[in-house]
Amino acid sequence: MAAIAELRDLLGSDRVLDDPLERRLYSKDASLMRGDPVCVVFPGDAEQVSAIVRIAARHGLPVIPRGAGTGLTAGASPMTGGIVMSMTGMNTIEIDPDNQAAWVGPGVINLDLSKQARPYGLHFAPDPSSQSACTIGGNLANNSGGPHCLAEGSTTSHVLGLEFVTADGQIHEVGGLAPDQPGLDLRALLVGSEGTLGIATRILVRLLPIADDVRTLLLDFPSVEDAARTVSDVIAAGMVPAALEMMDQRMVMAVENWLGAGLPTDAAAVLLAEVVGSTATVESEASIIAEIGRSNHARNVVIAVESEDRELLWKGRKSAFGAIAQLAPDYYLHDTVVPRTRLVETMAGVYEIADRHDLTMLNVFHAGDGNLHPLIAFDSSDEDVARRVKLAGEEIVDLCLSVGGALSGEHGVGVEKRDLMPSSFSALDLDAQARIKDVFDPDHLLNPAKVLPQGSRCFDFGGVRREVPEGAWV
Amino acid sequence: MQGWVTEHHPTRDGLTACVQCGLCLPVCPTFRLTGRETASPRGRIQAMRSVDEGQASVDAKFEEILDFCLGCRACEPVCPGMVPYGSLLEGSRAEISAQRPTAYRRLRRWVLGRVVPTPALMRILTVVLRILQRLHLIRLVPGRFRRSLSGLRPLDHAPNRVDRESDEPGGIGLLTGCIQEQWFPEVNRAAVELLRNAGHEVSIPATQTCCGALAAHDGHAEVAGRLGEANDRAFAACGTIVATVAGCSAHLVDRHGDGAADITAVIAAAIDEGRLPMLPRSGQKVVVQDPCHLRHAQKSIRPQRLILEAAGLDLVELDDAGMCCGAAGLYTILQPEASAELGRQKAGRISELGPELVASANPGCEMQLRAFLGEGYEIRHPIEMYLQALRRHG
Ligand SMILES: Cc1cc2nc3c(=O)[nH]c(=O)nc-3n(C[C@H](O)[C@H](O)[C@H](O)COP(=O)(O)OP(=O)(O)OC[C@H]3O[C@@H](n4cnc5c(N)ncnc54)[C@H](O)[C@@H]3O)c2cc1C
Ligand code: SF4
Ligand code: SF4
Repeated sequence: MAAIAELRDLLGSDRVLDDPLERRLYSKDASLMRGDPVCVVFPGDAEQVSAIVRIAARHGLPVIPRGAGTGLTAGASPMTGGIVMSMTGMNTIEIDPDNQAAWVGPGVINLDLSKQARPYGLHFAPDPSSQSACTIGGNLANNSGGPHCLAEGSTTSHVLGLEFVTADGQIHEVGGLAPDQPGLDLRALLVGSEGTLGIATRILVRLLPIADDVRTLLLDFPSVEDAARTVSDVIAAGMVPAALEMMDQRMVMAVENWLGAGLPTDAAAVLLAEVVGSTATVESEASIIAEIGRSNHARNVVIAVESEDRELLWKGRKSAFGAIAQLAPDYYLHDTVVPRTRLVETMAGVYEIADRHDLTMLNVFHAGDGNLHPLIAFDSSDEDVARRVKLAGEEIVDLCLSVGGALSGEHGVGVEKRDLMPSSFSALDLDAQARIKDVFDPDHLLNPAKVLPQGSRCFDFGGVRREVPEGAWV
Repeated sequence: MQGWVTEHHPTRDGLTACVQCGLCLPVCPTFRLTGRETASPRGRIQAMRSVDEGQASVDAKFEEILDFCLGCRACEPVCPGMVPYGSLLEGSRAEISAQRPTAYRRLRRWVLGRVVPTPALMRILTVVLRILQRLHLIRLVPGRFRRSLSGLRPLDHAPNRVDRESDEPGGIGLLTGCIQEQWFPEVNRAAVELLRNAGHEVSIPATQTCCGALAAHDGHAEVAGRLGEANDRAFAACGTIVATVAGCSAHLVDRHGDGAADITAVIAAAIDEGRLPMLPRSGQKVVVQDPCHLRHAQKSIRPQRLILEAAGLDLVELDDAGMCCGAAGLYTILQPEASAELGRQKAGRISELGPELVASANPGCEMQLRAFLGEGYEIRHPIEMYLQALRRHG
């Protein structure tokens, strides 16, 4: 293929992969959906990214940026074929301790950045559960959040600027260290655009000081409602803990089986809370949270002080998704946000849907900001089960939207939730978004067919399919 | 498409346990070197699964992808799905041997199955090496072997090996290790002395042979099976089989479960239970290097540290999450470039830390570290350090 020959000339043949098996290893991210790329390329800098995009444009090939491929919505899956652009080679870190910021390559792993910043007493606040593996580029594209984003905000609050390449191959830079940038805030537009508007080639991130002291609390409850009410009460008490996470019983059992961290497997739900600040603050906040928990029937409250003990508690939470693998070969995960005040009833509704469809449902989520991750463990080789999973999934999304929730908390829309977009955006909203896409990428070369459903432009709005695409279960 | 052809192939259950979450990527040394899915645990598992599902075959690309794996198993302890990567890898390598039997692979099967397990041949090799070492002629050895061999300890003229005994075996059975007993006889000697000091009955069955770990890792499952059965008979009367090489003990633990152990686990237990003393602190610092086959394959981190602390040493951690040093059995020879890069990285981190005493519980790592650290470092097995301290304090 001519495009591949040109790419080889540009990058050297070692940095263009097109063997069928190699392509297959880049055919999907951590979701269930698979495409088939023409080839995989490994650029080393913005100039090469630009040159690749120009070659792709000449040959009408889409470009699909890929970080670590931990995305859960097929954002990095080449559903339309095309060139997968792996950003892992662009991984330099330049820390600017005076400005508490860093310029990083998009391929830098989230946790690596915090490790490098530690000697300066700094860290990168967004901490998705996948932080040991996922990249800053992926975090930016999905505007990822994590347990500690409750107090600090998601990735968008921590990206000060970026350099990116648009579909015409031009290299742009937006944002910067100054707090109030002149003109439109294009930075904010790029964050969360899931690789559909531009390819980030360098990112200026904010680094925050590491807290003086930390306490991690584990509270276990006899019912999910008690746990959910504790969450609401804590926030109502005017506190914004650094993190507030809930796992239900099935989830705790799956994690405990793997980790043996001593989590209470007989509790209906456990809450994991973290407070940071001066020693005096964390001690008083920890005891208030413990008190609120007890008044909501918490059976047991553990307060971990030592970093080893705290890390063990977090390790369990952060491995929750993977631990599902022990229960069934596949999992299907939703990522929706509901108002915190409606958490209790939504949870009850979600369990009811799973029971009605006779499915195994586990829950692990960022309770503090109402970001649910109901997770269905199933075996996709059973077609009837797969059908029920899909039905239940749609009902869950509908339920969350009906209580005033939003479609995507933090994992992005990708392909997985693309065709559900019309249920949370009006035709006019979708049209506006489609017009933005057209301005940046008129020929739909950058991660096409993601985020926005077919026919989002008003004039061809009409028969929108509400379907998870074929192959969603493989 | 041709699928699996042997009974050793990766199991379906093992393969589907992987949910493709990617949490194993950052701990994988070959992914860290390349940033590529084709060199990641998830990618390798996906390659195997593709063959299992009839979407790919055991072709040259499959071989290349699997050959580049160190077999360090760093991907196992971090995997929330508990994917049995080590056994999937051995299964894949067995398939590669069966479906792509090159002359080089056959030669390796012969060496690992016939030469290495035969002490007489190993003794001849050792004499040759000793002469080369004395005459400073190791540099004449062909490239890929030279670097590893430059990490050998000075070979003794009349090595005081622990002899395999013909007496009735029983108690703890010591596996002497084909290479360990020839090139690192001091470690086995220290093991026997410490085990007996701790009140264990120790025997060294005469009919024992190679544990088969190297053969299994290289895809010679039949050879490994044959050697394993021979040892089953040799150690039948022993309570526990103990090895002083992490690579051997990991293989034995996979095969025998609680019926086998690494020497560090047994000595640490003796210290814990007060059968061996905690010695006074000397103030000397030691860098702890974790062999992958202890840290990842056996999830064993504490015993070697306890032994060093008991020896009165102050521990200095490498803090690199147990990243492989690149020795990895035959890897130094089969993938010299990647092996050298990892060796350089590990040596670089150690030299930044300062101490010139380094503890490593695996001879392959020891040789790799010595080859890359160069002069001025003392690298020993933790039990040797403990025995030395014990002697010093009478
Ligand atoms: C076990 C597990 C736990 C998770 N926990 C969380 C969590 O707590 N919170 C959360 O928010 N997410 C979570 N996720 C989802 C995922 O890890 C995040 O979305 C993460 O930010 C993706 O990063 P990545 O490097 O893997 O990106 P990828 O999956 O490779 O890509 C994600 C998207 O970013 C685009 N992209 C990648 N690099 C660039 C670039 N340089 N320029 C433009 N676009 C780019 C891709 O095209 C794709 O659309 C989890 C996933 C797993 C498997
Ligand atoms: S951590 Fe385990 S489940 Fe996740 S991708 Fe790696 S091998 Fe698969
Ligand atoms: S065994 Fe080591 S090199 Fe091989 S995939 Fe696992 S971590 Fe990577």
